[in-house]
Amino acid sequence: MVDAARQPLIEVKAYTEVERVEGFVGNFKVTLREKAKYVRADRCNGCAACAKACPVEVPNYFEMNLAPRKAAYIPMSQSVPLIYNIDMDACIHCYKCVEACGALEAIDFSMEDKMVEEEIGAIVVATGFGHFDPTPMTEYGYGRFPNVITAMEMERLNNSAGPTRGSLMRPSDSKSLRRLAIINCVGSRDKRYNSACSNFCCMYAIKNALLLKQMIPEMDISIYYIDIRTPSKGYEEFYDRAREAGIKFIQGRPAGITEDPDSHQLFIKSEDITLGRVVEHEYDMVMLNQAAIPQPDQNHMSSVLNVAQSPGGWYMEYHPKLRPMDSPTDGIFFAGACQGPKDIPASVAQGSAAAARASRILHSDTWQIEPTVAVVWEDRCVSGKGQACGICERACPYGAIDYTKGISAEVITAKCHGCGACVGECPHDSITQLHYTDAQVLAQIRTLLAVEPEKKILAFRCQWCSYGGADLAGTSHFEYSANERGLRVMCSARMDADLIYEAYRLGAGAVLFSGCHPQDCHYITGQIAGAKRAARLDKMFARMGMNPARFRTEWISAAEGDKYARVINEMQAALDAIPQDELKAEIERLKPEMEKKLSKLNQIPGVEEAMIQVDFIVSEMQNKAVPV
Amino acid sequence: MAERPGIALFQCQWCLFSPTDQDWVDNHLPNNIYLTKTPCTGRINPLYVLNAVQGGADGVMISGCLPEQCHFVTGNITARRQLEEFNDFLNHIGYEKQRVRFVWLDLQDRGMIQKELAAFEEELKNLGRAANLVTRMKVAEGEQNA
Amino acid sequence: MSLPVNSKLAEQVKAIPGGEMLMMCFSCGTCTSKCMIQEKLEPAYNPRRLIREAVFNLEDMAFNDRTTWLCSACDLCYPACPQKIHISGVINAVKQLAVARGRQNPYQTAKVDESTCVACELCVEICPYEAISLIGKKVPFRGMISMASVDPGKCMACGICNAACRSTSIRLEQDFNDNLVVENLWGWLESEAV
Repeated sequence: MVDAARQPLIEVKAYTEVERVEGFVGNFKVTLREKAKYVRADRCNGCAACAKACPVEVPNYFEMNLAPRKAAYIPMSQSVPLIYNIDMDACIHCYKCVEACGALEAIDFSMEDKMVEEEIGAIVVATGFGHFDPTPMTEYGYGRFPNVITAMEMERLNNSAGPTRGSLMRPSDSKSLRRLAIINCVGSRDKRYNSACSNFCCMYAIKNALLLKQMIPEMDISIYYIDIRTPSKGYEEFYDRAREAGIKFIQGRPAGITEDPDSHQLFIKSEDITLGRVVEHEYDMVMLNQAAIPQPDQNHMSSVLNVAQSPGGWYMEYHPKLRPMDSPTDGIFFAGACQGPKDIPASVAQGSAAAARASRILHSDTWQIEPTVAVVWEDRCVSGKGQACGICERACPYGAIDYTKGISAEVITAKCHGCGACVGECPHDSITQLHYTDAQVLAQIRTLLAVEPEKKILAFRCQWCSYGGADLAGTSHFEYSANERGLRVMCSARMDADLIYEAYRLGAGAVLFSGCHPQDCHYITGQIAGAKRAARLDKMFARMGMNPARFRTEWISAAEGDKYARVINEMQAALDAIPQDELKAEIERLKPEMEKKLSKLNQIPGVEEAMIQVDFIVSEMQNKAVPV
Repeated sequence: MAERPGIALFQCQWCLFSPTDQDWVDNHLPNNIYLTKTPCTGRINPLYVLNAVQGGADGVMISGCLPEQCHFVTGNITARRQLEEFNDFLNHIGYEKQRVRFVWLDLQDRGMIQKELAAFEEELKNLGRAANLVTRMKVAEGEQNA
Repeated sequence: MSLPVNSKLAEQVKAIPGGEMLMMCFSCGTCTSKCMIQEKLEPAYNPRRLIREAVFNLEDMAFNDRTTWLCSACDLCYPACPQKIHISGVINAVKQLAVARGRQNPYQTAKVDESTCVACELCVEICPYEAISLIGKKVPFRGMISMASVDPGKCMACGICNAACRSTSIRLEQDFNDNLVVENLWGWLESEAV
């Protein structure tokens, strides 16, 4: 930290909050609030005279409130930058610090918060994690029994710079201790608080146990656990070392801690699962290994940065396996536990990767994005005509569309990732996606269904999953019906209801609506929008009296080639089961309804030209007798 | 006559979570306290209390689980209601209300029962001996209906 | 209650209200260490093991397990369970299945003395498990009368009805005896101690 602060190209902005982030990759405008320290950074030399003179004492949050600090303070002696700070909530305005500072005149009570706007190319978010407060878990008595402490308090109690100068002692009577229990999974793997595993606490418990064992070899340490998870290289050997050192591992989550009110001794009753019986042990002190949770202000920061959150509250990465350090917004990267609990090696790896990603942006003059971005036809957008709409803005998973009533919607091209969710949702067909325009997709549908449409199965596949699944079915030589006609769009959210009506209007035998599994969507929430639309269509077609075998929704991943082949074969079998004359009658019957729903489609720009092209291709194919 | 006030202790068998406390209550109670363990405080027949009062016990203590922790859902609440009414009757015939005490023990509290008993004993000492109510009839005079 | 005969125990337990979360158990042992029956009555009592038996479809083991029959649904374990499994609901589901298979509850339940019951409904009011109801029954010497009746599937043998009854006509067979309690009490009262 000290080295980083000395680097000429690194500026450390301590005691500063991010207020607002605007713009896009390479061109962020970040508004920062530089909080008033009431000590002038250019004059303070860190001599601590003000702290010595200050008569006010408040709990030091850096020492987990186990030790006091003055109202004029630095949180720890290695603070960077070494500039004192006056806590205005605690200050009693005695101005003794001003006297103590003397000729330096560094203390300035007239300072105020300053708003600074900075131009930033790339942002790396490394805000870390918060700690679960075990007070609500009354069964462990944290806050009620003085000798029940959290892992972070233990960290301070055995730290040589901590409040006890490194000698471990009980909070109740300052005596040394012989028997220590560590309880794992306090608040994690617990559906009442946080259902997720906190990843590093097993190793953390073992580390602490070994450390204390080295400090006080005669100490008796037990670790209560549900499962010990030591998944990385060298971790299992560390676990072995701990067992060899005589640390007791007890499988079984304690139901509660009781305390002897006079001696403050603690008693843990738990089922020793490996022994198969309930045992009670006495301890001098209990350490609760509490869960890692998102920072308390993570929700706020996520809206400031405009990045989404995963179900646990952590920042959501672009792709859990392939791009774990990228945020869905280009130019914002994650490092460390703010994206999900992780230990130090993983945090370092992710931080280095994020820095490399950011330097890629800083070293290039231009930034390439996917060409399949959305475009608004301004003359068609109803918002420009004064109607309230904003559907596209709500549909966009990336916040790339600006909607203001009275002005037609605007796509921020640099933010657009090209999923086409807005195109699928727009009820006025006034937004389209380059390379997947309505005209282009319609042309493909018409070409594919030019000959004998009632025998065809039209498969809408999403680019990332089901198209890959179909590809795999082909390269793996899985046989499926030759009547299948595949059509690629970027995401199941792009599969506009109009396109499906058009397929049925042309008399398609069956339509497959396929995309990624819900958790695998390439575009954050694209699959969810697609699934909703598919469910709506399913209901509508049932109401129209369509045979249920003619519309199917399936989520197929790129690894499920066999599933793709099976689904197509099942659809073919179901289609074959419908008598031909019945099917034809149904197609004829539904045609007018589909036409009614498609009334707006022919007004879309580019459709007529595309259709001329379709007619040409179809006639060519028929002339040459190419199987269509 | 002993110096310490006699206490009839009725304990619900679930209300002491720690084995140490249970062991103390089972085996190390002083002579002036007599333990009757019941399956639930709801199982305590007011008859038991009446008999204790008749026999000259200076106090009756009933210890049960916390309201929401009753092993049998609502047993302790019905018991308290029932015994409270019975206590009113005892008060009417001249047995002070403070002499019947109902305590709820939290499962997490270690050593609470000892403290509660000590406090109760202190209060009983201040109250003095209980008024002499009707003593027990001899067996020959029709005790069978007890 | 009709139950599919061929399906597995775990599936059947999950189908009964209260048993839905069965498969979520990761065997942490919190329920067993919280259990008062394990602490006070039966050291071999183990809800965690019963859930495991149900998960692995070990029907005979689960039905013969004392845990199935002794649980009184005090629900101390439910708020402590990190997986939010309603443990007494699972145990009750196993019990219902065992009863449907013709197993008998090996433990005591409350019994009504039909020669003295006056159908005052005190026990009906006070029973925490709603196991007692009034029925009409023909009884020798008393004719057709209405009297209390205990559902053995619901009774948890707490004895609260016994204490409430004013005519001592509902009681547990193996329960401690009113006379004995009073006798012991008097023994102490008449001793030197008081």
